Parts: sequence; structure tokens; C-alpha cells
Amino acid sequence: MRTMLDWIRFALSAVLTVFGLFVLITATLGLFRFRYVLNRIHATALADTLAVLTILAGLALAWGFTPVSLKLLAVVAFLWLTSPVASHLIGRLEVTVNDQLPLEMQVEDSRFVSVEKEADQEVRQ
Amino acid sequence: MSRLTERLHRMLHADDRLDREMAAEWEEAPAGKPASLPPEEVNPDTPAEQPDWWISVPFRQGRGLRRLLVVLSVLLCVGIITVLVITAQYLPHFGQAGNPANNEVSRRYIENGMEETGAVNIVAGMILDYRAFDTLGESNVLFTAVCAVMLLLRVSADKRRSAAYQLELETDDRMYEPKNDLILRSIARLLIPCILLLGMYIILNGHLSPGGGFSGGAVMGAGLILMLNAYGFRRMERFFTIRLFRAVTVCALSFYALSKAYSFFTGANHLPSVITPGTPGMIFSAGLIPYLNISVGLVVCCTIYSLYTLFRKGDL
Repeated sequence: MRTMLDWIRFALSAVLTVFGLFVLITATLGLFRFRYVLNRIHATALADTLAVLTILAGLALAWGFTPVSLKLLAVVAFLWLTSPVASHLIGRLEVTVNDQLPLEMQVEDSRFVSVEKEADQEVRQ
Repeated sequence: MSRLTERLHRMLHADDRLDREMAAEWEEAPAGKPASLPPEEVNPDTPAEQPDWWISVPFRQGRGLRRLLVVLSVLLCVGIITVLVITAQYLPHFGQAGNPANNEVSRRYIENGMEETGAVNIVAGMILDYRAFDTLGESNVLFTAVCAVMLLLRVSADKRRSAAYQLELETDDRMYEPKNDLILRSIARLLIPCILLLGMYIILNGHLSPGGGFSGGAVMGAGLILMLNAYGFRRMERFFTIRLFRAVTVCALSFYALSKAYSFFTGANHLPSVITPGTPGMIFSAGLIPYLNISVGLVVCCTIYSLYTLFRKGDL
């Protein structure tokens, strides 16, 4: 006999899982559409963190609060600890190895810009 | 590509050419007078040509011995292939009801496995008790794989001392890898104990729950690889040297072989054995299975770690 609470739980878990799948699809799209390593890392970091969290939370809700959901929590903790570190290492390797980085990624350094403005003003004066 | 093939060709036929030249000189030279060796083509100004010399060293042995070895190895291969093909002729046809595969063995494993081996995990009982020979073979396959990788990839001491190798190391991409990364180190400090503990749990609980030597050893090897990436080679070499690798793998494999030889000997001759299945479900039960799991796990762990280091650095 299913009560109202069961249905609500099922609906919640379904929503969470579907949202996680949507995030996964977005991340995959980003992985294939972006052309540059750091952009791809930015896109796929979502899959490792948000998508995993929502999908596993949905599963835990559907399963009920048992030792299994504790294990799922451990999986989430492990992935949240490891995958950002892996992304960080890939990004750092790219920054270390790529000589053309300033050309490919135009990052505006605010300190540098302000120094330039001051120099400009000095020249004008 | 053509340069590479040319170099290989020169390398393989170096001593043939040398022999021919020496024979020609011997014929030209008057009898009794020793022929002079051809002058060494060493140019100190071009260190790029230096790395070739140690490669050709094994090929400078006698030509006759090498031919004999080639003939012997071909004969051995042909002999083994013949025996296997002849044996394959006697195999029953595939999919027949009366084939030896459809027998009482699997039912016996399922029904009597727990009380005969003492292992709750019936797979552990099968692979480490009934069919322990197979598992010994698998561990040996891993060990042999590492030996082969070592033969191919291990950098010899001569080469490691040479200036060309040092230059190669300096220009290598591996030097640019992120080192001493604070984020990786702090996460690794947190994770490595958990990973190693999980691996030990999987190994030690192999006869009670899913798991065992292979999976637990793989987890522990992954933990060691993470440690290597976080803390670098110099710290790992303080405790994981090739000497430790040799000692651990050889001890584990010979313990496995000797203990299983004992239990097979006593079992086949219906002799009383000191190994008893014990109470199924206890941690100290299932006879030899926990200890065999430990030795298999040690072999797998060392193997995975040393495969990684061999492919990255060419040494342990």
C-alpha cells in the first residue's frame, strides 16, 4: 500500500535524477563543443560534482535511508574530493606547458591595467 | 621513419659488417700478422650519436651462438605449436550434451563449497581452494608481465650514468609536470590512508564477502600510485625499491606455491592435514584462503605500482 509520502518521495527522486541527467548532457555537450582545454574543464567539472550529487541523492531518496545511502554519500564525498583535484592538475599542466597561453586565453589582469592607466595619465600630464 | 629503419638495420647488422670487414682484412693481411680493427667512428663533437652504443652491445656476441639460439627458439615454438594442435584434435565438439563441461562439478561447488572450504564467499573458495593452481598461474602471469616490461623498459645503469640520458631527462616533458602541488598533497594525505585501508579490508575479507586478492591488490596499488604522484619519486624510493619488490613478490609467490603444494599433497593422498576449514563466517577460517589472498594481493599491488613506475621512469 503506497501512501502519499511514498509518491512525494518518488517524485522528488525522479526530479533530482532527471536534473542530474540534464546536467550530464550539458557537460557532455560542452566537452564536445568547446575547443580549448580550460573551457572543457570548466564544462565537465559540472558532471563530476553537481550531476553526481543530484543523481546519487535521487537514488538515496528512492532507496530510503539505509546503509546503502551512507555508501552513496561516501561515493559523493570521494568524487567531490578527487575530481576537482584532477581538473586542477590538468589545468595546471596546461598552464605550465602551453607557451601560447596569453594569446589563446586573453585574461585581463586588473593590476596590470591600472598600472597602464596610471602610466597613460602620467604621459598625458 | 626511414631514418629509424636505417638505424635499426645498421644496429642489427653491425657485427655482420664488422665480421666481413675483418675477414676481408685478414685475407689482405700477410699471414701471421694480426689484422687491425677498423677505426672507431666516434666523433666527440656530436653527442646526439652517442646513445646508440649500448644498444649494439648485446648484438656483438658471436654470430654462431646467435644463429643457434634463433634455430633453437624456432624449433621450440614449432614443437609447442605441434603438441597443442595435436591435443586440440582430441577435444569434444562444441555444445554437445555429453561434454565434460556439463558435469557434477559446479553443483558440488555450490552445494558443498562452504563446508568443504570454509569460505562464505563461494568464489574465493573456488579460485583459492578447488582451483588454486589457476590462481597461482594468474599471479605468475602478472609477475611475468612485470619481468617482460622490465626487460623492455628498464634503463640500464650504464645508460643512466651517460650524459645523453641526463640531457634527455632534462628535456623530457615529465619535468614540466606539476610537482609539489599543495592541493594534490593535502587531498592525498586525506585519501591515501582510506584507500590503503579499503584495499586491506577487501583482501582480508576476501573469504567472507565479495573481493579478494586481485581486487584489493589493485586498490592498494592505485593508492601507492596516488602517493607517488603526490609526493614524487624520491620519497617513494625510500621504501619501495626494486629490492623490496623482488623480496615481496618472490616470497609471496613461493609461499603460495609451497602451501598449496602441501595441501594438494595431503589432500590427494588422504593424509591428515593441519589445515582445517574452521567455522564459516569467522575471520580466521577457510583454511589457507585468507593467507593466499594476502599473498596474491601483495603480488598484485607491487605489480601495478611497478608497472606504472616502469612506464614513467624506466626504473623502480
